[in-house]
Amino acid sequence: MTALPKLEDLEDKSFDPFMVEKLSTGNCPDPYPRIHELRQQGPVVEGSYRKNFTDVPDVQMGHLPQVMVLGYDAVLHVLTHPEVFRNKEAFAPNLGRSFGNTITVMDAPEHTRFRKIFQKAFLPNVVTKWGETVVDPVVNRLMDGFIATGEADLIEQFTHHYPFQVIYAQVELDPAQAPVFHKLAIAQILSSIGAPQGPEASGKLGAFFAELLRQKRANPGTDLISHLATVEADGERLPDDVLISFLRQLMNAGGDTTFRGTSVLLTGLLTHPEQLRAVSEDRSLIPAAIDEALRWEGPVTSTFRYCAQDTEIQGHPIKAGTFVNTVLASANRDPAKFENPDAFNIFRKNTVRHLAFASGPHLCIGQHLARVEMTRALNAILDRLPNLRLDPDKPAPAITGHLLRVPEHLWVKFDRA
Amino acid sequence: MKKWMCMNCGWIYEQELGDPIGGIAPGTAWEDIPEDWKCPDCGSLKSEFEMEEV
Repeated sequence: MTALPKLEDLEDKSFDPFMVEKLSTGNCPDPYPRIHELRQQGPVVEGSYRKNFTDVPDVQMGHLPQVMVLGYDAVLHVLTHPEVFRNKEAFAPNLGRSFGNTITVMDAPEHTRFRKIFQKAFLPNVVTKWGETVVDPVVNRLMDGFIATGEADLIEQFTHHYPFQVIYAQVELDPAQAPVFHKLAIAQILSSIGAPQGPEASGKLGAFFAELLRQKRANPGTDLISHLATVEADGERLPDDVLISFLRQLMNAGGDTTFRGTSVLLTGLLTHPEQLRAVSEDRSLIPAAIDEALRWEGPVTSTFRYCAQDTEIQGHPIKAGTFVNTVLASANRDPAKFENPDAFNIFRKNTVRHLAFASGPHLCIGQHLARVEMTRALNAILDRLPNLRLDPDKPAPAITGHLLRVPEHLWVKFDRA
Repeated sequence: MKKWMCMNCGWIYEQELGDPIGGIAPGTAWEDIPEDWKCPDCGSLKSEFEMEEV
């Protein structure tokens, strides 16, 4: 068997991307009062979403003309009119630098062509099979590490690791390389604050994946990378730069967002014990609980689009060349669509879909995998941690961040098996 | 069991649920959905759907 390529660590071994990321995303405890104020000003508000919450400069986007689009209908309009509100120009200066030529940085017709090939590997009927074979072993291994103690920090000991480990298993990564991998996956997005470790991490991940692809093409297996390395559409393989960029993004988008989503789901349920009990007793409520958690505290509060032509939303003009902060969180807490929108309520009757996974052609490609992972994780927790409750002797969980939301800790107690 | 699935995003059409927000009443057979109807999640056309084993 060929040895997998070795992943190179950052030159500055003391650099802690997790700490820098936390500092750069801020510790805003609750952006929603401000988001509601902004939405009440109208569907289009001048300025940058980020500047409402932090003084840390955005070196890549901060100097560009920006508006915020707020409220469900306006946000949905932006997301579903890709011919006007484009991705390429919006993401080339940020995610494009971190990940490369990824499908997030493309528009139709290029995007349509590649998206379908990638989506094929993440269709619901494909990822459902990974639940038992890939997700469950990861979840159970992590839980084995604390189940005998009767207490845990579910963030530090569980949610912060399991989605990344699911991806490592999918790409058959050597477990010994996992810590460096996680570190580089986070470090690569720090290009947005001008950290030199951002491009360094992108380069090192790129070199690793290029070698991995060469090996997988020579000796393909049944793993995800072998599939993507050899899949053809209309007699054409995915170009290396597109595939490597996708894999870089997969580490981050697939791992980090699911970590946040699962953490928020557990926080919502644990801080509403009656709803936790209901889900525990009736597992058919799990899909509703997942969707409510993602609506209530979606992991990503805002995304960008680039306005390619003079246009208007609900009578409010937007000039060509404007970067549009598309505030997903304002859509998901729009009182015109969701009654009592700040409340976590898995029993709410919705008449519209939440936009945590966005909408339109760039809808999250990994949403079905995220749902499988969150379902498996929650079922395992409910099955294996009886009488699960917040630890009364520790601080209550506090979801923080203005752009990426997650609690830093989720201390719980449960009855020992 | 096979169902109609959007190949751009994986959304599955459930006949008993329809797509009321998109104007498709519960119980509507796939064949009766108009060709200009779009996937409620990603906006792809009906022609982008394929029958998939789920």
